[in-house]
Amino acid sequence: MPEVIIPIGPHHPALKEPVNFKVIADGEKIVRLELDISYNHRGIEKAAEQRDFIRVLPLLERVCGICSHSHSTAFAKGIEEIMQLEIPPRAQYIRTIVAELERMHSHLLWLGVAAHEIGFNTLFMWIWRDREAVQDTLEEMSGNRVHYGMNEIGGVRRDLTPEQVNAALVRLPHLEERIKKYVDMVNNQETLLIRFKGIGKLSKEEVLKYGAVGPTARASGVDYDIRSDDPYLAYKEAPWKVVTDTHGDVYGRTIVRIGELEESLKIVRYCLEHLPEGPIRVTVPKIAPKGEIFSRYEAPRGELAHFIRTNGTDKVERIDIRTPTLANWTSVAMCLVNQNLADIPVIVAAIDPCLSCTSRITVMNDYDRKASSITMDELRRQSRARFQRAERL
Amino acid sequence: MTNGLMVDFVLDTMKEFGTIEQIRSNRIRISTTPDKVHDAIKRSRELLKCDRLITISAADNGRTLELIYHLTGPHRTVISLVIELPRDVPETPTMSDILPAGIYERQIHDLFGIFFKGNPNLEKIILNEDWPDNEYPLRKDWKPDPGKFYGGIKEERI
Repeated sequence: MPEVIIPIGPHHPALKEPVNFKVIADGEKIVRLELDISYNHRGIEKAAEQRDFIRVLPLLERVCGICSHSHSTAFAKGIEEIMQLEIPPRAQYIRTIVAELERMHSHLLWLGVAAHEIGFNTLFMWIWRDREAVQDTLEEMSGNRVHYGMNEIGGVRRDLTPEQVNAALVRLPHLEERIKKYVDMVNNQETLLIRFKGIGKLSKEEVLKYGAVGPTARASGVDYDIRSDDPYLAYKEAPWKVVTDTHGDVYGRTIVRIGELEESLKIVRYCLEHLPEGPIRVTVPKIAPKGEIFSRYEAPRGELAHFIRTNGTDKVERIDIRTPTLANWTSVAMCLVNQNLADIPVIVAAIDPCLSCTSRITVMNDYDRKASSITMDELRRQSRARFQRAERL
Repeated sequence: MTNGLMVDFVLDTMKEFGTIEQIRSNRIRISTTPDKVHDAIKRSRELLKCDRLITISAADNGRTLELIYHLTGPHRTVISLVIELPRDVPETPTMSDILPAGIYERQIHDLFGIFFKGNPNLEKIILNEDWPDNEYPLRKDWKPDPGKFYGGIKEERI
């Protein structure tokens, strides 16, 4: 079989933002993958240099629509460290609650998408219904479902009332029960096992070699988690543990994310029950002294790093953002090699890329230069047909 | 949490590469030079057990362009290796042979115009393909040139 180049993207209904893959395939097997992530470059780092801290925060929150709280917290805690501010414990706890709810909604979203990618739409509907409980809690606390706007330099902008705390606590038992159900399904549902096991495998050595982060790394037994490596917010006080797995495939990544859902729920419950009294913010100076900070944060997708340099004014000299997805691309390109074309959606989705993707795939034969198109629906259909074949086994 | 790296040990291992300072309990900063940085990273991978590259940050400080390699390992201490490059010939050896640095180097090449000698695939990744050459938007002295076309759809003005 001659090798063919298959461009996927930049638009793809399975993912949230645009990215372009050039998949070089030999028959159904993937030989190599090239990547173009330029479609969503908005120049936020440059724009952040022109704005003062108060105006940078909402801008950075809009780096991402799913882990919005991650970016604003990473930046706020960096600037606070440069200013040498002590943030009141109540603010730390509220930040932690929002951060962990965000992780829960993000992991549930991912689980739903993964179920959808393999054609298991019932599971997708169930999970996204349960995700609404998390979204409702976030909306009650912050007034928003996407950009919570909770952070400001020196603390948080909104306090939690006892009613909000109660409403959140009331939702937790049901969520806990549902997560238990999903743990059971992932471990015992034959169709999930067939489509997830052995797909997109990365060994521990490969993870370290290609620099994968977050659940992708932890699923291969690499226990880097910034919440315990470099503790911030209230993670030192709350009871939780780093979830790892040794499978290293999509199945392992699912196990890790479900395990993290359970841990996040524990953290949220602890923080809601032990919410300290006191102020929620401190008064901050307008300008930050000259300094440099490397602020690390465990976002739902892995380690997020903000390199911040200040120059003694009310603006940053430089902010360099390294998002977890950027670190994970190298490993995706490697673990797709020798896999089946129909597994692209689930493997790419398995790192939970925070970028988007494809509605039309052009199959181009390098030898006779004839081009034809496969729509995303066709690729989905193939993916689903595999699922049905798997089900019959 | 595991115990961090002892700063004395780092001082001992890395002293030939430049000045070493501990800027926080779990952050060590080493200022070195472009010709020594490859060896320094190799040494920290072997002796300091730094098996992980967090990121390569780049910054323009007005006089020079700076690159900061952030490494960590099972000890969870972040080692930051800083090098400065002259603005007129910003060149440095690639780390893609020993670190998963390819994607970061391509990004920095796009935005700062730093050339990584030996990187096999230094093509555009973060800027659009029709972005003009020799325009590096994150440099401090960069201003968009109204006469140039920066990509996207050309607007017909009547």
